Amino acid sequence: MRDNTLKYLLVLPAILVVFATAIWPLIESLRLSFTVGRFSVPGSLEQYLGWENFAWAFTQEPAFWNAVRVTAIYTVLTVGLTTTMALGLALLLAPGGKFRAGVQTILILPFAMSPALIGVSFRFMFNPEFGLFDAFFGVLIPPLADVSWLADPILAFAVCVMADVWGWIPFLTLVLIGGLASIPQDTIEAAQVDGASNWRVFKDITIPQLAPVLAVVIILKSIFSLKTFDQIFMLTNGGPGTATQTLSHYIYFNGMKYGQIGYAASVAWLMVIPMIVLAYAYTKFVFRKD
Amino acid sequence: MASVILKNLTKCWGDFIGVDNQSLDIQDHEFLVLLGPSGCGKTTTMRMIAGLEDPTDGEIWIGDRMVNDDLPKDRHVAMVFQNYGLYPHMTVFDNIAYPLRVRGTPKGEIEPRVKKAAGQVELIELLHRKPKALSGGQRQRVALARAIVRTPRVFLMDEPLSNLDAKLRVTMRAELKHLSRELKITTIYVTHDQIEAMTLADRIAVMKDGIIQQVGTPDEIYNDPASLFVAGFIGSPAMNLINGSVQDGYFVTTGGTKLVAVSVPDKPDVVLGVRADDMRISEEGEGDIDARIYAFEHTGEATLLTVQWGTQRVIVRGARHLRKEQGEIVSISLGSDHLYLFNPDTGKRIRG
Repeated sequence: MRDNTLKYLLVLPAILVVFATAIWPLIESLRLSFTVGRFSVPGSLEQYLGWENFAWAFTQEPAFWNAVRVTAIYTVLTVGLTTTMALGLALLLAPGGKFRAGVQTILILPFAMSPALIGVSFRFMFNPEFGLFDAFFGVLIPPLADVSWLADPILAFAVCVMADVWGWIPFLTLVLIGGLASIPQDTIEAAQVDGASNWRVFKDITIPQLAPVLAVVIILKSIFSLKTFDQIFMLTNGGPGTATQTLSHYIYFNGMKYGQIGYAASVAWLMVIPMIVLAYAYTKFVFRKD
Repeated sequence: MASVILKNLTKCWGDFIGVDNQSLDIQDHEFLVLLGPSGCGKTTTMRMIAGLEDPTDGEIWIGDRMVNDDLPKDRHVAMVFQNYGLYPHMTVFDNIAYPLRVRGTPKGEIEPRVKKAAGQVELIELLHRKPKALSGGQRQRVALARAIVRTPRVFLMDEPLSNLDAKLRVTMRAELKHLSRELKITTIYVTHDQIEAMTLADRIAVMKDGIIQQVGTPDEIYNDPASLFVAGFIGSPAMNLINGSVQDGYFVTTGGTKLVAVSVPDKPDVVLGVRADDMRISEEGEGDIDARIYAFEHTGEATLLTVQWGTQRVIVRGARHLRKEQGEIVSISLGSDHLYLFNPDTGKRIRG
């Protein structure tokens, strides 16, 4: 057998797997987004509507706009809080010291937990009758003892953000520690001798040199925040009402609960747009030629 | 501009002693070189003066102020790092301007001062480039310009030439010397290169194992070494060290050869140090001792003869036009000047 034929034969299984599990579903979902696509209506998966599903989302569905708003606020808050706090932690841990190795190991633990589990455990902790937080507040801040956290729209949203920030800080901290370690110590010391205060060193020397890593961290975290599903599903299931319903959750509900798979597919494809922008930015930063 | 005084300075990391209870007075305007092999504590000493390392014990004075508790930014020193420490995200102009900017220099003053400093190190046409687009020598100049753009009280230079190739090093060495004479700022310069130390320094402090072995002018260090270590470290080729004893006013090699008259009391174990330049070569039988040529090297401006008698080998510098063959017998004579005797156990000089 010719080498040329052989090499294609060898990668063929992989290509088939990718096609069957990624490319075909992608194409199929795109096709579905242009159909009536209701599980309860026979033949509707082949009944084409043109752009009507998309138009419907934009014009007839306040719940879609609610999900967009929730997802946007959720993304901005979680990305902002996680990155800032991870940067702070990374700066504290980077200079070294006795406990650093141990702390780093413990740090990774929350990240080792599945997001669904994080959702379940936070729901437990905020349970108004036997939750950990309830017990804490009962002792420390009695007026907050009887607050039903997950029943209040704003508090429930805050709890979702908190659980996500808690789960993501460790990983981002580790990435940023790596980034900080790659900054030449010389440049920091040179700036100190040149007369810069710690704040100026941080602002003028550390941050600009950390910028590429920071950009990657922010983009990656944005992608993960945009597609958040499992944690919210387990923690609040989008509620109370639709106060914590993100786009992924909205798509899941419409597709799986209500059987409107065509409409759900079109919303999913709307979500692809910001994802592509972020993915493009990510690859630009990661594979930048410098 | 200021003097720098170190009082009983010590730096330990756990059980390891980097700098061991050392004191040193550096005069205003002086160019002092800290010279020693790697790991001798010279860079640590400099970093403590800069404030990048906290001393375990002792005091550091710059001018009339003890600066132990001052941050690096408040010590008014400028430092040139071995790897230059240039800010990679800034242009050459911004690199040089940075010390002025963080010190709140008025905007209008910055540009002329940066241009002046850049001019002194011939960088004017590279001001818009980033450090990445510069050669090693050019980066070195940027680091220098960044140090001289403000008027620091002390210059600190940490092996600034060691990353340059040999030819550039000689050029930059001359420029550094010129610049330091022109600026008249107290300079402390760390190096392991004895030629750099000899050529640049007003005074040299030779360090080993965290201890300053000898402080003196290059002339004193070269011509009057206080210990075996200093004698062996300074000079190229290294000083010849011959084991033997002093008997009846003569130095006698371990092999039993009576070599030269010395003016110290008899002593069983001594080391005689003599530089390659302080011996004369003559034809067989005419000098103090006959020896066979082990190797003959021609360096261009001189010749180097390694000669051997018994198991003892020494290097002698010969005239430029001398031509000898390996295996020939020559005679060498040691003048009575410039002979150094050391105690091999303590390494200390034995003076007559």
